[in-house]
Amino acid sequence: MIQFRDVSKHYDNQTALRKITFFVDRGEMVFITGPSGSGKTTLLKMVYMAETPDEGDITVADMELMKLTESSIPALRKNIGVVFQDFRLLDNRDVFENIAIALRIRNIDEREIKAKVFESLKLVNLRHKSDHYPTTLSGGEQQRIAIARAIVSEPMILLADEPTGNVDPDTSAGIIKTFKEINARGTTIMLATHNRELFRNSGKRVLKLDFGNYAGEELG
Amino acid sequence: MSMSYSFRLAVQSLLHDKWINFLSVLTIAVGLLFTAITLLTVFNISLATKDLPEKFSIMLYLKEDLSQQDIETLMKTARKDPSVEKVKYITKEEGWKELKASLKNTDYILEGVGENPLPDSVEIKLKSETISPETVKKLTASLKAIKGVSEIEYGEKFLASIYSLSMGIKTIGAILIIIMSAGTLFVCYSTVKILFYRKNSEIETYKLLGASRGFIRAPFIIEGAVIGLSGGVLSLIGIFILYYLVLLKVSLAFPIFKSFIFPVNMSFALPAAGLLLGITGAVFAIGRIRY
Repeated sequence: MIQFRDVSKHYDNQTALRKITFFVDRGEMVFITGPSGSGKTTLLKMVYMAETPDEGDITVADMELMKLTESSIPALRKNIGVVFQDFRLLDNRDVFENIAIALRIRNIDEREIKAKVFESLKLVNLRHKSDHYPTTLSGGEQQRIAIARAIVSEPMILLADEPTGNVDPDTSAGIIKTFKEINARGTTIMLATHNRELFRNSGKRVLKLDFGNYAGEELG
Repeated sequence: MSMSYSFRLAVQSLLHDKWINFLSVLTIAVGLLFTAITLLTVFNISLATKDLPEKFSIMLYLKEDLSQQDIETLMKTARKDPSVEKVKYITKEEGWKELKASLKNTDYILEGVGENPLPDSVEIKLKSETISPETVKKLTASLKAIKGVSEIEYGEKFLASIYSLSMGIKTIGAILIIIMSAGTLFVCYSTVKILFYRKNSEIETYKLLGASRGFIRAPFIIEGAVIGLSGGVLSLIGIFILYYLVLLKVSLAFPIFKSFIFPVNMSFALPAAGLLLGITGAVFAIGRIRY
């Protein structure tokens, strides 16, 4: 589903990623770990083309990203749900609208939007907050809204960048449980985290990054 | 993409920034109002001066003792010129009669004149759209060369003055219209641009979520269209007020304004121009969306 071949990325004189090669199978859930600044976010961004590699090839859902034209990027992104590290919620829209936007972009009709938004809100236990504005919610709640938005369109691929960064251990366990449920439905998931607790005993593959270098993989 | 959603976003944004948008609408209305006033003035002046060229004619005074064939050849040659509308032969007797008729009660002036002193003549009327000092000058030069013409007379100064008057009005009108349209376009452009900058982060999020260019652009274009159209409608209201309340009252004191005409087409043209400028301004302001 996702394949990186000798992918490198440099910023000015700094190397963010160096000759990274890996693959993620369809329906797999994979963790990416490494200390801050190891290149986890850059790697995830490359999957949805918010960043492009300086060298190497990337294939996502049978699309060769280096050959993709700019106008095809929306089509690629429609296959991917992203939980951004900074959430990227729209402060001037309520929770319902923040989640619904992912469906409106996909031209889903209004009745279906309502049903799907409430379903995904239920999954993150925030159905009662649908008319709240993001700024009135806690960091953890905002994170769960971001997750709800990423999964509402039932994408083929789900990317999450530190999705438990702002939550207590109990909520964190709940979030991972939600991801596993989504993964069980067939969604391929790549989850970047520096928190080893998240993948311990998960039984999932863990790809390790160390200051831009691929540092092997282990089973969580 | 759902258009109703784009409309909803546009309306929300218009209401959210209602004061800046209202000011833009007002500015556009004023710009279009001045454009409309200029257009109306140009339209009415050219309407008033439209009949003037019809009064214009070139008189060819012929030499004595020309044969019928000479006269016919002369008229044929004159008719050949593409700018000529009508060629009329006037015998010296007809000329004399016309002169007497035009003098009416003052024909005693002619009492001292015994014999008819007028020569035979040919009157040439030109097509009004071709009348200009240059074409007339060229034509008279070629007419002079025709055998049998002794003298040519036309209102050179009259022609030059109405020509420069109408050209001057048209030029000033065109310049004013261009400036006003550019100004209006700029107001639409900057309104949408400010909005676009302010929503930069929101737009980035849309892009990352997979929104197409159309999805991102639509609300802004609708906003530009609404602002432009509102400006156009407001300027139309303004011009109606000016026309019916101000001009009609002024014409009581100055009857010349009574003949001032308001073309009905303008009722559609102003909102349409506003709409077009609004959309164009928005399209320019958004520019190319890069992913």
